[in-house]
Amino acid sequence: MKHPDIFMINAAADEIELDSHELAQRLQTARGYSDDMIVSCKHKLMQQLSYKCAYIRIPVGYPEENVLLFDFAQINSRNLYKNLHPCREAFVFAVTCGSAVDRYLARLKITSQAEYFITDALASTAADSFCGYVADKMKTDLSCCPRFSPGYGDLSLTVQQPLLERLDARDLLGITLGAGYLMSPMKSITAIMGIKNEENN
Amino acid sequence: MKKITDLIKEKRVYFDGGTGTVLQSMGLPAGQSPELWNISCPEKIQSLHEMYFDAGANIVKTNTFGVNRNKFENYDELIRSGIRLAKQAASGREEAYVAFDMGPTGRLLEPLGDLPFEEAVSVFADNVKVAAECGADLILIETMNDSYETKAAVLAAKENSDLPVFVTNVYDAAGKLMTGADPAAMIAMLEGLRVDAVGMNCSLGPDIMLGIIEQFKQYSSLPVIVNPNAGLPEIRDGETVYNIGSDDFAAYMAELAKGGATILGGCCGTTPEFIRKTIEATSNLPYELPDKKHLTCVSSYTHAVFIDRDPVLIGERINPTGKKKLKEALRNNDINYILNEGIRQTDAGCHILDVNVGLPEIDETEMMKKCVFSLQSVTDLPLQLDSTNFETLEASARLYNGKPLINSVNGTQESMSHVFPIAAKYGGGIIALTIDEKGIPTTAEGRAEIAGNIISTAEQYGIDKSDIIVDPLALTVSSNPDGAIVTLESIRLIREMGVKTSLGVSNISFGLPQREIVTSTFYASALTSGLNCAIMNPFSVGMMNVYHSFRALNMLDTGCADYISYACASEASQTSAATASAPEETLRAAIVKGMKESAARLTAALLDSTEPLAVINDHIIPALNEIGTAFEQKKAYLPQLLMSADAASAAFEEVKLRIPKEQSDKSRAIVLATVKGDIHDIGKNIVKVLMESYGFTVYDLGRDVAPESVRDCALEHGCRLVGLSALMTTTVPSMAETIRLLKETDPSITVIVGGAVLTQEYADMIGADHYGADAMDSVRYAEKFYSI
Repeated sequence: MKHPDIFMINAAADEIELDSHELAQRLQTARGYSDDMIVSCKHKLMQQLSYKCAYIRIPVGYPEENVLLFDFAQINSRNLYKNLHPCREAFVFAVTCGSAVDRYLARLKITSQAEYFITDALASTAADSFCGYVADKMKTDLSCCPRFSPGYGDLSLTVQQPLLERLDARDLLGITLGAGYLMSPMKSITAIMGIKNEENN
Repeated sequence: MKKITDLIKEKRVYFDGGTGTVLQSMGLPAGQSPELWNISCPEKIQSLHEMYFDAGANIVKTNTFGVNRNKFENYDELIRSGIRLAKQAASGREEAYVAFDMGPTGRLLEPLGDLPFEEAVSVFADNVKVAAECGADLILIETMNDSYETKAAVLAAKENSDLPVFVTNVYDAAGKLMTGADPAAMIAMLEGLRVDAVGMNCSLGPDIMLGIIEQFKQYSSLPVIVNPNAGLPEIRDGETVYNIGSDDFAAYMAELAKGGATILGGCCGTTPEFIRKTIEATSNLPYELPDKKHLTCVSSYTHAVFIDRDPVLIGERINPTGKKKLKEALRNNDINYILNEGIRQTDAGCHILDVNVGLPEIDETEMMKKCVFSLQSVTDLPLQLDSTNFETLEASARLYNGKPLINSVNGTQESMSHVFPIAAKYGGGIIALTIDEKGIPTTAEGRAEIAGNIISTAEQYGIDKSDIIVDPLALTVSSNPDGAIVTLESIRLIREMGVKTSLGVSNISFGLPQREIVTSTFYASALTSGLNCAIMNPFSVGMMNVYHSFRALNMLDTGCADYISYACASEASQTSAATASAPEETLRAAIVKGMKESAARLTAALLDSTEPLAVINDHIIPALNEIGTAFEQKKAYLPQLLMSADAASAAFEEVKLRIPKEQSDKSRAIVLATVKGDIHDIGKNIVKVLMESYGFTVYDLGRDVAPESVRDCALEHGCRLVGLSALMTTTVPSMAETIRLLKETDPSITVIVGGAVLTQEYADMIGADHYGADAMDSVRYAEKFYSI
């Protein structure tokens, strides 16, 4: 059952501008580089993308140093603590590009390694760019910390489980966890973004 | 009390509504699993069920939605208690039934996720065994958003109980499951699996379901269940409320009932009041049992293909008969070759793909399972499971995600007694060959008679004639002068019986020169006689010309749109081929620019006048060196390098066709693996592509590879060069262990390592012979290694 405090943001493929810096890093090219193949891969990928996001805005507590308390889990993490403390609230969210992208990549892996490599980089960039898009939508005029994801620093991937359950991500986004806490669809991201307290702005 | 399966065919029946919603109002804390209350607060669970029965519901769902052995150690206790409480609530009431409620496992099945199909079946089976013991009246498989998991649950229910099975799936606003299936695909599969009622639940609300119900009415022969949410939840004045109230909900449910839903209830946000009002709003509406549709269709995990007036193309390329390269791929376990054939035929416009992997020297059943599973990860077309081995047919029908086309049964008792039980259990269209113990009749009437026998025998297994597609067999005209005429007449007779037909069309021209001319003309005649499906080569221009023009001429192609698009694409392709002159001048440029199709075409042309080895040494390798050097000098980027590698591989494929097998060079080989514990293989794949494009033989072990497997592969092939990749720091020890094992086995084995976390220092520390800074560097090292 969807919890009433979960909000959703969906976007059409053409609404999301891919971050050119991120893409260049993933493609190992100069920033802004493009060619016919990249343009063609991007065009085809656009038809597979289905951007969805679920997010909540919830309180954060700090029972002790390096320990964070959310309504879905108590998390021990020095790095997340450093990122969030002393924010009293945070956005917690999950985004996905959808399972059609996974199937499309599986197919490209067979037919063309070049297209597979380029499309994989484009899809990863798409997920990341959509994260940026939803972060801007959530923030409105709030001042926020940089988003922080499970797997960064010492924030364990095991956090994915309660976090995704809290966001009802299986039903709302189609995200499930496999062994090793890796998400399916592959091009999915979870993150926590602290909302800075007014007095700290 | 009447059986529930009888009741749903006589009148409108009502499910209960939400469980969590009501339990939260009784004090269930947010975030706590409601199922735990089956033991800790049994009186409240029983009271929940009683409230729904009091409101008029006929069926209550047990409070077991999320229970399975992976989530709860005491799953059996929770199920036993859940069913007992529902039965106590039903006790003494008329027309009151208990549905054992089974929700998803929470994990996604392979290939998209990591839960193997049979493990999912086993998880559900454990639940069903308990439910059957406890006396539930039916099994409700609900809130499923993946067709494959739905199939696993249905099989578990059918194999471990005799209970009626109802299934509801979650469709989004676009009318699709999360993994892509539309209602037609789900209905085809579920009717094939012999469930008792189908439908939808949860989702967004009854208003959204109104947009989908029409498809159920159109395709379902079974009673249709609709259990929507009360819209979407909102917080108003600190309270959680759903945005569709009970009156509006009931009004929508009346519309859904008029639209064809015959079993009504609710899901999240609905309460006994919603059910009571729904009953008030619908009980006087006329009840109409869905009519039997008699549709001939098969399905994949996304869509159904209907076999009717519009001709259906069944790609024949995955069948080793007469195909040397496919035979070799099957012997070498080269799944990628087979997948490529599947993708090419999908792109060529096939509607269904035939899959036949029968070779005497391989394990056909294992290979078939592997191919079916892998093909379903790269193409969404339904598959035709083609084998003469009954074990192979059963294993692949079980694993198949959807309703397959089974090829084939014939009129012999032996065939029918083996094939029909498979189709009756797993569902499937069945290709029926008009041959029996006496052979193939020489007359059309004789073939139609066998078709009639097959159809009447199928009915004894509960298989409708709409699921039988008769192949009256095309006998080659070079040895059977009236072969075509008899077959065409057979098609007409079988069509008059109201049965669909299929033909392996190309058989007609065996032994004749320029076969395509005869085959395509015969295909046109067969279509005119009413042929529905052709097992054919989609790369045959003649056949595709007939297909497209037939559709345009027979009002099957609105505005001739498909024909125009086909004709324009053919014209463009011919123009492009005509302008590709002077191959020796442009092959190098095609590879450098990464033009895959051009490189293949130009190589083929060049090979008419140049020795294969000269094409490699004078054209392909220099082109690769040019782009490789540009990459090393930072004048070209990785995507360009890979595009060139793709183009070079396409050129190599052409060259390979002209090199006798014994001349193939296996002396320059490398074993590649991403080490144990690491699943990131993009870097390793790039190295593989480049190595292959430079003519190395690559033994690619994939990712997450144990040290022993790397060693065994190197020993088996006598390969002295090994490349290992790792992306995560945590897996570098695994790389070190692999190197240690290799060196211990044979100190002369040379190891290249690479990957994002590797450095020269790391490589030295773990005993690698070379640190491949990038893919090109690894290729250069391999070339040097084999030149010494």
